[in-house]
Amino acid sequence: MLVPILSRQIKSTLNKSLPKSLSCSQFHTSTTKNFDIPFLKQIPQPPGYIIGTVNDAYISPHASKTHGSLHWTVERIIAIGLVPLATVPFITGSFAPVLDSILATSVLAHSWIGFQACIIDYIPKRVYGKQHDYAMYLLSLGTLIASYGIYLIEKDVGLTGLIAKIWTGKKEEEK
Amino acid sequence: MFAFKRSIISLRSPLSRGLATTTEKPSLIKKFKIYRWSPDKPSEKPHLQEYQVDLNDCGPMILDAIIKIKNEQDPTLTFRRSCREGICGSCAMNIGGRNTLACLCRIDRDVKKDTKIYPLPHMFVVRDLVPDLTHFYKQYKSIQPYLQRDSIPEDGKENLQSVEDRKKLDGLYECILCACCSTSCPSYWWNQQEYLGPAVLMQAYRWLIDSRDQAGRVRREMLENSMSMYRCHTILNCTRTCPKGLNPGKAIAEVKKQLAFA
Amino acid sequence: MLSTRLGLGLLKPSNKFLTLKSQQIISKRFINQVTTTHEREQEILTQQRKNRPSSPHLTIYQPQLTWYVSSLHRVTGVLLAGAFYGVTVAYAAGDLFNLGIDSNSIASYFQSLSTPTQYAIKATAAFPFFLHAANGVRHLIWDAGKELTMKGVYRTGYSVLAFTAVIGTFYTFF
Repeated sequence: MLVPILSRQIKSTLNKSLPKSLSCSQFHTSTTKNFDIPFLKQIPQPPGYIIGTVNDAYISPHASKTHGSLHWTVERIIAIGLVPLATVPFITGSFAPVLDSILATSVLAHSWIGFQACIIDYIPKRVYGKQHDYAMYLLSLGTLIASYGIYLIEKDVGLTGLIAKIWTGKKEEEK
Repeated sequence: MFAFKRSIISLRSPLSRGLATTTEKPSLIKKFKIYRWSPDKPSEKPHLQEYQVDLNDCGPMILDAIIKIKNEQDPTLTFRRSCREGICGSCAMNIGGRNTLACLCRIDRDVKKDTKIYPLPHMFVVRDLVPDLTHFYKQYKSIQPYLQRDSIPEDGKENLQSVEDRKKLDGLYECILCACCSTSCPSYWWNQQEYLGPAVLMQAYRWLIDSRDQAGRVRREMLENSMSMYRCHTILNCTRTCPKGLNPGKAIAEVKKQLAFA
Repeated sequence: MLSTRLGLGLLKPSNKFLTLKSQQIISKRFINQVTTTHEREQEILTQQRKNRPSSPHLTIYQPQLTWYVSSLHRVTGVLLAGAFYGVTVAYAAGDLFNLGIDSNSIASYFQSLSTPTQYAIKATAAFPFFLHAANGVRHLIWDAGKELTMKGVYRTGYSVLAFTAVIGTFYTFF
């Protein structure tokens, strides 16, 4: 019948193995992650990420609230605080110097927490060891210098004032 | 003589007997590109191999197609499968860019497009479409997914639970641990070793809110570190991809709230 | 013995002697017995694990609103924070090394640039800022436990993108 003939035809065309160039596209075999940072030495990880036998449960890191729920709560409080602080200058135009300083400090804290999240995600301690700590020190150093810079900005026109000046050129009413 | 031949032919041909056959429809050839890698030839890089399947001669689900390929074209194609009804979670794989169960994923009948089938993303590959889920199971074991009590129940026999408390477990207990959600999470891709992943965290929540369980404090303490749960940045790929329609993202948000306020 | 009593004697495998022989033949031909230890097996397994490749992820995963907007949130966050740190550190460095960086000098430098460049810089500042801000509010809504369904995610996601497009364009040009 036609049915077995048809399937036999398909089988015969496919059984001749297709040339590799036609059928295949190559993939990376290495187990390193996508965010491979050049020049930073990586600590070799256990094969398959498996420590112990297949029947041992995974062991969680040491528990500490400062790195867990407290950190999360502080992060959200700063984020919630930023919502009114960042939207009001757009509406009113000018901003009292005290509030402007609070805004600038909150933005700095928010940026610090954000960068810390990126460092923990992409430069984790188990893969990069000491370099994770160096990255955090660099971040903290940058934050210190930036806080001095904020002090200078606040002495000058304030953060909102600076942005307004650059944006509009002269007027400090809009934005 | 002629009449005799005619009757023979009519007996043979299913068409004349009124049965449907594939000869009625033209063949609908669909191309599948499937990820292949063999540990017997480890130096050979993983590659995509193309197979062609006549959809008119195949069941509607992706699992039917790959079983057909394995039966008729390439017996070396390797994948996990068991129940063929979306309840065991064995056939979890990345089909058309999304993590889902092959037995529940319908084949896209548009033959102008290829369907690409990969194993679950960022997992170690044992062979072809089979990922190594050992670490996933170790993480599940670590959250102690069993009832823990230090007091015997009031009536001495059963751990009673109200209807409302039982309703809280709906949408959580149905998880089949297929690992589709965890392997769709970019945070799990980068920090698989320490971040537990949405599947395991949803089960942690399932045990946290079980009114019969008394180990809530221990369970919460297990998650109080920067990696086990707090690598979740609410990307929500997990809820998007769950083949059973569950919501791990919401479960994790509730756990975070519990840890912060309770 | 029991089977002969029950009259099943003829049904038994005919000859015990014959069965044993065929079993021996089978064991010699098809079954290969290797004595090994648990440690040796673990070694083999560990060696196999070292060879295994990692399956593709970013390159093959379907573009979805969920992770695309989330990655945009992170990228814009890093950009904005980088710019914020850059400006403040420049101020500090300018003061320490007497480079004369203050709001007037920056503003006049900005005005000296050509108009298209000005609009380009304004766009690169406005769009990321509004996207990050709107998505930040979306994240806070999620942390409260609301809009955590697929419908909610897509509803809020499209609103964030629309808000960014409209307000960003407004502030780029005005």
